[in-house]
Amino acid sequence: MFEGMHTLRRIGLLLVIAAFQSARAESPSITAVLTSSETTLGRPVQLEIKVTGASGVTAPPRIEADGLDIRYTGESQNFVMRNFQTSASVTLNYTIMPMQTGTFTIPPQTVKAGNNALRTPELTLRVVDAPNRGAGRNRAPPGNAAPVDQGKLAFAELLVPKKSAYLGETIPVVVRVGFISQARLDAMEPPHIDGQGFTVQKLSDEERNLETIGGRSYTVRSFKTAISAARIGTLQIGPVEMKAAVLVPRRPTTQRMPFDPFDGDDPFANPFFSDPFGAFLERREVTIKSDPVTLEVKALPPGAPAGFSGAVGNFSMTADANPKRVQVGDPITIKAEITGRGNFDRVNAPGLSDENGWHTYPPTANFKQDDDVGISGAKTFDVVVSPNEVKPALPPLAFTYFDPVKEKYVTLKTNAVPLTVQGNALPSPSAAMAAVPSATATPSSRSRDILQPIAERGKIASTFAPLWLRREFWLAQLVPLALVLAFLAWKVRNARASNRAARRVAALRRESDELLRKLRRDELSPQQYFSDASRLVQLKTALKENVEPATVDAESAARAFALDEERREQLRRLFATSDELRYSGSVNGAVAPERRREALALVESLS
Amino acid sequence: MKTIALSLIALTVLAVSARGDFEKANQEFAAGDYKAAVADYEAEVSSGRWSPNLFYNLGNAYFHAGDVGRTILNYERALQIEPRHPEAQTNLQIAREQSRGLEITRAPLEKYLGGVGTSTLAMAAAVCFWLAVILLIVRRRAATMAAGIAVFVLSAVCAWAAWTLESDTRGAAIVVADNAQARVATADTARSVLALPPGSEVVILQERGDWNYAALPNDQRGWIAARAAEKVRL
Repeated sequence: MFEGMHTLRRIGLLLVIAAFQSARAESPSITAVLTSSETTLGRPVQLEIKVTGASGVTAPPRIEADGLDIRYTGESQNFVMRNFQTSASVTLNYTIMPMQTGTFTIPPQTVKAGNNALRTPELTLRVVDAPNRGAGRNRAPPGNAAPVDQGKLAFAELLVPKKSAYLGETIPVVVRVGFISQARLDAMEPPHIDGQGFTVQKLSDEERNLETIGGRSYTVRSFKTAISAARIGTLQIGPVEMKAAVLVPRRPTTQRMPFDPFDGDDPFANPFFSDPFGAFLERREVTIKSDPVTLEVKALPPGAPAGFSGAVGNFSMTADANPKRVQVGDPITIKAEITGRGNFDRVNAPGLSDENGWHTYPPTANFKQDDDVGISGAKTFDVVVSPNEVKPALPPLAFTYFDPVKEKYVTLKTNAVPLTVQGNALPSPSAAMAAVPSATATPSSRSRDILQPIAERGKIASTFAPLWLRREFWLAQLVPLALVLAFLAWKVRNARASNRAARRVAALRRESDELLRKLRRDELSPQQYFSDASRLVQLKTALKENVEPATVDAESAARAFALDEERREQLRRLFATSDELRYSGSVNGAVAPERRREALALVESLS
Repeated sequence: MKTIALSLIALTVLAVSARGDFEKANQEFAAGDYKAAVADYEAEVSSGRWSPNLFYNLGNAYFHAGDVGRTILNYERALQIEPRHPEAQTNLQIAREQSRGLEITRAPLEKYLGGVGTSTLAMAAAVCFWLAVILLIVRRRAATMAAGIAVFVLSAVCAWAAWTLESDTRGAAIVVADNAQARVATADTARSVLALPPGSEVVILQERGDWNYAALPNDQRGWIAARAAEKVRL
């Protein structure tokens, strides 16, 4: 039983540990992204500052930037549980209204999150003059979107925030599909952006809004995605084309009867009466097509730094290395994080700015996106390096990218991390091996990279089959089965034995009660009376001491009931009288009635 | 008597010869003759006297011989027999990083169970089952009864986990051929679904002649040439 309770406690403890693990707070991090890095005068842009893994986030009340009016518009919280891993984030939203044209810098902001003070990266926003300001629509036309045909049941438009981009630059794109609000959407193909020379990310889930365009109300479904130009030149993005089926109200019948008592206003002319099951709706299939958008793709400028891997965007980098006290040849893990906005698929691990005296192992990477389409987020790298000689510090890490706003290559560098490296320098590789590039490493150079063979053969395993398909597993089950069967047999035997003892006790009680009744009636001969009285004493003693009645004599009965000397003597007399009457048929002297009463009282007092 | 003596001698000769091949392969490996080491380790594998260290050493020999697909295959085999073989785990990770092979995405729970292994789970299920039987037979108090039921449930959970893990790993295979392609039909001219670099993981669902129908790392399905991938389980 104790084993069972112990097992229960262990299970409970494991559940508590699992719950703790899943709810464990991650280290806080911050990202800041603009919904677009370029906008037109008068067209607002959203700034989202996202804090992950922290609580008690305090938003900066006002962000100052020349030429921009930035206002706090609220916050949203997000709690995600995926594969038993939880993450909570708070997004602070700001609306940026450009006040003049030019390129503006939003300075780094300090956000308090609990006991931590997190700092956002510097952001750049380019504002150009709006080419079609003052267009006569109820809402501002979105960038270079095609105008909506007011007479249509549905429309599609493709919003591309830029007219020109660099090769590899990731550009957010929004596909908007609107249906007149009186219509009910029955079926719709997912939008597809036609075109060549660019790649398209997966579309996000739709966002639905009600908008008034040209005086008519539309239900607009927006799908976010991102495109990346794969060749230079003029690219045609789109058109977006899809088929949809909508249910629209039927038009009332206009055919007039020759003798119309209602004068053309017949209430039974309503389509409901001609087709009650079709009700008032009519199914129409429509093909929705947007206008294409032209994008001018420029080549990246020449003179890219040596470490440039094709990353285009705006990034920042942090890094830390552990342990900081090592022996020569010991591994040091560098955790580098690159955050920002851009084509993260081309963001490679940062390299040591000076690799001399260091051995670098292949890095591992993990990307966590902050938006729906993967343009912004944080990519973390674990880079393992080991010093081949005594070094005072880990050299700075370098990461190069092309900034399309500044239109130049930017190389980020971390600070050197001071280290304590002990021991002697490792033997340097031969000149021949040093000349071989790492991508085509020879077998002998690889030998350092994996653990060496084991000389012992180890235990032999003749099969890959799972344990329960092996005969020895089921043979082993015979042992606990035998133990359980033995335990069951022992329990049955015990139960039967207790049953026998109970039956014996019941028989003795019955006999004892019967004898007592006979003695009380006082109708027995002296011989029979004293014989029954002594037998009754034997029975009571046997019940008390769990012994055979025939083995009880006056002394053992007196001991069993702890009688005083007077009653002990009475008991001896009782047994003596019984023996005398049994063996000789008489006693010395007559058996007075007092002797009978004394015997009865004595017997009744035994309990 | 003579027959027994001859059998004993034959067994002794076989045992000495088997040990000799393993040690010989180790020596060839140490001397840098990786191809000879591969041949001798493979001869040991063919003899059926498998051990985690044999597959681990064979994986190392293939690594140095430049066959990254079979390197990963043999580390996986070592881990199938001994899920917590630390050297095989370490070298498998390094080989995977170098191979750029595609891996089947597994849930964290499945990864954890994979580290425990079906044998440990089956053993735990059996122990919990018998413990539950004893507790339910004794059941002198309500607490004993409750503990018995809880341990029985735990036994069922372990059995389910072992069965699930076994179902997932039964057809596991590693791509060993260069330029392997998963295709929509059993023909070399059929449209390609996915290019599979050596060392990529697949799960063989059905075998049909020279082609196997397999679950691919990107949650798709496709036909791959039977010679292109080898099952982890022999």
